[in-house]
Amino acid sequence: MKISEKKALKRESILQTALQLFATQGFHKTTIPDIAGKLKMSVGNLYNYFSSKDILAQEIIKYTSESLGEKIREVNDTDASAEEKIHQIVTIYFTMAKEKPEMIEYFLRVYLSNREVFSDGCEGMICVSGFITEIMVFFDDGVSSGELRNQDFFSAFGLFMGYLGGMVFLKGEEVLPQEIEFYIDDISRNIYNALKA
Amino acid sequence: MKKVEMKQLIEKIEGEAELDFTFNDGEIDDVKINFGFYRGIEEILREKDARDALVITPRVCGICNHAHLIASVRAIEDGYKRAGVEVNLSSKAKDIREFTLACELIQNHIKWLYLTILPQLKRYVGERSEENYAIKASYLSTTITKALAIFAGQWPHSSYAVVGGVSCDPTHLDVIQAQSLVEESIRFFEQVVIGMDLEEYLAIKSITQLSEIEGDFGNLLYLLGSNDMATIGKSHDRFIVFAESPLSVSAKSIGTQLSKVDVRYVKESMQENTVAKAVEYKKRLYEVGSLSRGMVAKRPIIKSLHKRYKDSLMTRVFARVDEVGVLLKSCKNLLQNLALDEPSCTLPLNKMALHFEGVGIVEASRGSLIHKTKVKNGKIVNYEIITPTQWNLSHGTKEEQGVAIKAMVGAKSVEEATFVFRTFDVCSVCTTQ
Amino acid sequence: MSKPKLLWLQSITCNGNTHSFLNHPELFSILAHFELIHHPVLESDYSFQEVIEGSVPCDVLILEGSFVQEGFLKAGVEVSSVIEHYAKRAKDIITVGTCATFGGIFKQKEPDKISGFAFDIEEKTARYKEYASKLISLPGCPIHPRWLSFVLLMITNGKKVEIDELHRPVELYGYTVHMGCTRNEYFEWKVDVKNFGLKEGCLFYEQGCQAPYTRGSCNKILWNDTSSKTRVGTPCFGCTEPSFPKTSLFTTKTNMGIPAKMPLGVPRRAYLTLTGVTKSFKIKRFSERLLEYDK
Repeated sequence: MKISEKKALKRESILQTALQLFATQGFHKTTIPDIAGKLKMSVGNLYNYFSSKDILAQEIIKYTSESLGEKIREVNDTDASAEEKIHQIVTIYFTMAKEKPEMIEYFLRVYLSNREVFSDGCEGMICVSGFITEIMVFFDDGVSSGELRNQDFFSAFGLFMGYLGGMVFLKGEEVLPQEIEFYIDDISRNIYNALKA
Repeated sequence: MKKVEMKQLIEKIEGEAELDFTFNDGEIDDVKINFGFYRGIEEILREKDARDALVITPRVCGICNHAHLIASVRAIEDGYKRAGVEVNLSSKAKDIREFTLACELIQNHIKWLYLTILPQLKRYVGERSEENYAIKASYLSTTITKALAIFAGQWPHSSYAVVGGVSCDPTHLDVIQAQSLVEESIRFFEQVVIGMDLEEYLAIKSITQLSEIEGDFGNLLYLLGSNDMATIGKSHDRFIVFAESPLSVSAKSIGTQLSKVDVRYVKESMQENTVAKAVEYKKRLYEVGSLSRGMVAKRPIIKSLHKRYKDSLMTRVFARVDEVGVLLKSCKNLLQNLALDEPSCTLPLNKMALHFEGVGIVEASRGSLIHKTKVKNGKIVNYEIITPTQWNLSHGTKEEQGVAIKAMVGAKSVEEATFVFRTFDVCSVCTTQ
Repeated sequence: MSKPKLLWLQSITCNGNTHSFLNHPELFSILAHFELIHHPVLESDYSFQEVIEGSVPCDVLILEGSFVQEGFLKAGVEVSSVIEHYAKRAKDIITVGTCATFGGIFKQKEPDKISGFAFDIEEKTARYKEYASKLISLPGCPIHPRWLSFVLLMITNGKKVEIDELHRPVELYGYTVHMGCTRNEYFEWKVDVKNFGLKEGCLFYEQGCQAPYTRGSCNKILWNDTSSKTRVGTPCFGCTEPSFPKTSLFTTKTNMGIPAKMPLGVPRRAYLTLTGVTKSFKIKRFSERLLEYDK
């Protein structure tokens, strides 16, 4: 294995570990030595990868956004109808919430709650563009094929992502009486009905 | 009594036309004017967005495209107002539009003078000339359309007049450059065209002072006078102007009697054997253009010429060149007083009427140009364009001959008649839009 | 050596290219390299009647106006036959304007019958093959006078004009109209115009500006040597493109706010990623008037 590949793997494992700790213990309560300790590496070496905790936090949000974006891109690249794509995107999102709850938790509890950490370098949508871009592509395709109604981007985006985020939040609060996948069909249909042409 | 028919192809008139002359005892007693190909701009506009007319209609004509733009924007603005959407142009926007329109008229008249009238007249009177008149036409038209383009972006085919104003946002830097180009044009006009000071020229009131005019215009007047052309080319002696402009008010003049006009009484009709439609006002034919504007404005020198020569070739030719002087002065004043701190466009982007009917009128170089638009759901359902050439070059009605035809009747030769024809500054493409 | 013989013929046209060319400040120096056989407006060696009769010489043929095979007669003769007569004899053929090149506005009257001389929008016409070796396309509604003078002088200088697949000179059409637009910073930072009549803001997002995907030199070789549409706040209408004119010319077609057509050659994901990033910043300078007075 080349050194650069080894480094990339190490970098990813740092991101995943930090993500887990930030999501479970909270961003402020987690220290760099905590993360290094869990990875069995020296604090100095970890700083070789990320020069500060804030930068690490920002890289995590990019990482989660990109991995979510990549999955949606696979959906975008198919010939499925907008209705089917909505179902698949909802499934991806809820599956992630179930299997990697730390990712969604991180987004809701760290990214959205500690805006000061992200104010320099992660303004607006910069760090989530991997994900946002794919949602834009989905909307663009849906409108140009005539399946979705043309409207302002944010009115559509807010409906779609606000809905999914809200459901995952309710799940995190353990308010939902059913497993989250129970809601996939209905929610997909609701979103489609709201966005269709 | 012997009837003879002759055909003549007329070229270099923004396209071509064919004239069929009927001679009766050595004099022309009727002419049929045939224009070429119908291009169907009005049909092309159907189902397009209302504002697309601002881009499409200038393409009616390469030489008076700007007049079409202004007519089309006025038609939409009129429609918006009638549909209850307030449109109040700033004085800045109004003045810039008047300025660019004036620049186009100057460009047009000067080309007509140097590319058509002077070379054709010299040929007609048999005077050989090696002079490159075209370079004079090109110099002044290039200079003045550059001033136009400072505000409109380009000429030909700008679409800078938008509903509610103009799209440009000029600074002093722009105005100073435009002023300099206008001054250059005035200098050219003084030194080359009239051979005298512009202010002194504009103060000329009577035909007794015409000898003061030198330069190419002086030469032209001399040639017309010394070849017995001051009295030929008379028509109905009726003039009409539909749009107000710095040149004149809107009115009609029968002889010298002025009265009001209303565009609602304009009637268009198909003619036989040509794709050009005829147009009349309350069942009578009127001349449009520079001569009409001079008559309606009661410009002293035009009145003086008219008193002596009526609506002859001499008066008609004079009125068109004369407008260049009047317009240059107007251009200078418009720029001097331009209120740069006012907004360029007063209508907010999201304000729009979707169902309306509007009429836009403008004084183009050849006379009143009328656009009518009818819009439903934001789309054009009907568009009508009535061009100045339709007034001057129609075949006429059962009762009376068309304006240019009447002016040609009595001519002794095809050459004489075609020269009279060209004094109307014929535009083939506008007639067959 | 005798000068090349220049013949300018018109088909279905508004004369816009003729008049645009008359605005060339060095018009007569350029024409001095040629013998002017016939021109629609300028005094020339032969009458139009003689041109129609087919008896005049022709080395360089300039064609203006869209083309119809049958039904457009001048002095009783089909214009198409006159054009083809001289096209066969010419050494160079230049189609000036979008009408002559692709069909243009007048094509919309009868789309099945009217086309450009060698192209019908982007498709080659039946005539293309015969004339391809000597054909240069100068689309634009109208052409810029300096585009034509460039080609004419290259010909008299015996130089080869490099062309693209639609026979457009690459040195004129290798650019987009967007290049050199004074509003470029507003495009980069996704700041749209607040209304017409302002020098601030980009016209691409709402006002229908087609400059980022229109080929042409309008903001490099300025119009009337002074300005351009976008410089005076008018959107580019894509008048050099085969598809000109589209509909809804003052509106950008968007899908949920996303432009339906991307800048030339830019992948959609690249564009959208950049949009998301730039929209995240509010740059003070771009929200203010460009020029402040009375300070």
